[in-house]
Amino acid sequence: MVRVTELTNLAVDLVDVHKTYRKTVQALRGVNVQVRRGEIFGLLGPNGAGKSTLVKIMMTVVRPDKLVGTILGRPLGNRKKLALIGYLPENHRFPPYLTGEELLDYYGALAKVPKAMRRRRAAELLEWVAMSKWAKTCVGEYSKGMMQRLGLVQALLNDPQLLVLDEPTDGLDPAGRRAVRELLLRLRSEGKTIFLNSHLLSELEMVCDRVSILVNGLVARQGTLRELTEHTVEYRITTTGDLAAVKEAVERCGARIDNTVIILNGHNVAKVNELIDLLRGKGVLIESVVPHRFSLEEVFMETLGTAR
Amino acid sequence: MQFCALIVDSLRHALDRKLFWILVAITVLVTLMMLSIGFEGGKVSLFFGLVEAEVDSYDPLAASGKARLVGVVIYGLMDFFLGWVGITLVIIATAGLFPAMMESGVIDVVLSKPISRPVLFLYKYLASMVFVLIQAVLFVGFTFLVMGLRWGVWVPGYLLCIPLLVLLFSYVYCVSVLVAVLTRSTLAVILISLGAWVVFSGVRQAPAIFDTFPELQKHHVTHQVVRAVSWIPPKTADVTYLAAKWSNAGTSLDIIPASAMEDVSAAERGQLERSNQWEKEQLEISAFSSIGSSLLFEVFVVLLAMWKFTRMDF
Repeated sequence: MVRVTELTNLAVDLVDVHKTYRKTVQALRGVNVQVRRGEIFGLLGPNGAGKSTLVKIMMTVVRPDKLVGTILGRPLGNRKKLALIGYLPENHRFPPYLTGEELLDYYGALAKVPKAMRRRRAAELLEWVAMSKWAKTCVGEYSKGMMQRLGLVQALLNDPQLLVLDEPTDGLDPAGRRAVRELLLRLRSEGKTIFLNSHLLSELEMVCDRVSILVNGLVARQGTLRELTEHTVEYRITTTGDLAAVKEAVERCGARIDNTVIILNGHNVAKVNELIDLLRGKGVLIESVVPHRFSLEEVFMETLGTAR
Repeated sequence: MQFCALIVDSLRHALDRKLFWILVAITVLVTLMMLSIGFEGGKVSLFFGLVEAEVDSYDPLAASGKARLVGVVIYGLMDFFLGWVGITLVIIATAGLFPAMMESGVIDVVLSKPISRPVLFLYKYLASMVFVLIQAVLFVGFTFLVMGLRWGVWVPGYLLCIPLLVLLFSYVYCVSVLVAVLTRSTLAVILISLGAWVVFSGVRQAPAIFDTFPELQKHHVTHQVVRAVSWIPPKTADVTYLAAKWSNAGTSLDIIPASAMEDVSAAERGQLERSNQWEKEQLEISAFSSIGSSLLFEVFVVLLAMWKFTRMDF
């Protein structure tokens, strides 16, 4: 059974995850999440949706009440597989008495990275995040942004197959955020799987292949960005002149009028053409026809509204 | 690799704490004080010769000269500096090690590494002992050298105080770890650990009260229950006696010489003799049963804490 799942294309395959805190707070109520190997997967949800709990369960920090599934083809908590995962928790705190270099060596050793490799990787990664000159400074003196960069480095030290990042751009300036995005895309091109938990929907939209929207401990929506936004597309037909004469006919087609703009909800090309024919038949001049796909944020807000 | 990493981390954590250096300062101070004491002929000089004293023939020192003084010193060091003062400071200094590891944001990263919770717990527990080991090596090592080089008395058995001190600390530290796992509070760890230490010492001394006062021995069942209960907790007090015995300092225990009892009343003499008997009995303590039963308690408490640790959400 385990061997079969190891051969599947899923890096993360969690089924029916339940977690209740102190017998009263239901954080997760049967979550199913599947992440394919080599993709960037985004986890979305409002505060209290259970995102961090799910991530912590994946990383064995929190114990699930019920769970069926695997990570990298093995049951959760498998030591060999944990050695192949990099993790950056949200609001992480590092021992302030360690220097950046010492901290990486410590976590590298805990991750069973051979000494020579962790030294080489630490130097390379610190260089990449422009932290080399701070390597021998105590972590206690680092700014939040520096801590975040160091956190990313420790997550990458073991050259992970699966990278789990909880709010990775938290505390980073725009240049730092861009660098993280570029890194994620580069890692994906190298075949790594990335599990991303972030509040910044615009950032997720830029890098994620698939996302899952978690609401009240349940997956409300899951799929590729195209799948999630497809049904929410709308067409905007901008016209010149008065539309009063065609108002009734337009509304019969399921569209609505906003000044000189006719808005048609949904992905229905035939209906758009029907409307164009109608307008042209009535002598209305069409300036433009623009399909407008909803942003992830709009999908998120819609999902939230529906779920609640 | 992981064990070494945790030891090095605990060491770095310890070196970062002021209390570590306060303990080192105490070691230096005691060493200097001992260095200031010298022997010349029948005289003892203090403060590098500033004060000189004749050895009184009634003084216990006179009985066996320097060896007797060394015994007093060893017993005093074990009982006071390595006992109350040392252990109290060490408990305070190490109280934060487990709560710090279990802080949210810190433990997340550690638990995501390929190390099982029981192994992590055990490694961390053992790594915490390094703090005490360093202090014990420094203190016992320096004072051992002073006694040998300055006084010309080499007592190899005194070096056994190093593992004994670590053992003594471990008796109390198991409670610290359990409290840390249950509360994650450094303050709670300090208060409860110190309290537990007092209780351990008190329970162990309880049978002595019965032995000292004959009227209490009439309550035979109670006496036996107290004796039995006194064997449950770690025998912290025994460690000092074992150290005294193994370092050949047994003669320096608080045993009142017969000559000193000549002028006291019969009732007082009886009490002093029973007290002497108790002290002598302590020297006959079986290391195997004392350490063995204490370690049993320690193992039980550590397993309990480990069980709780492995089932916790962070």
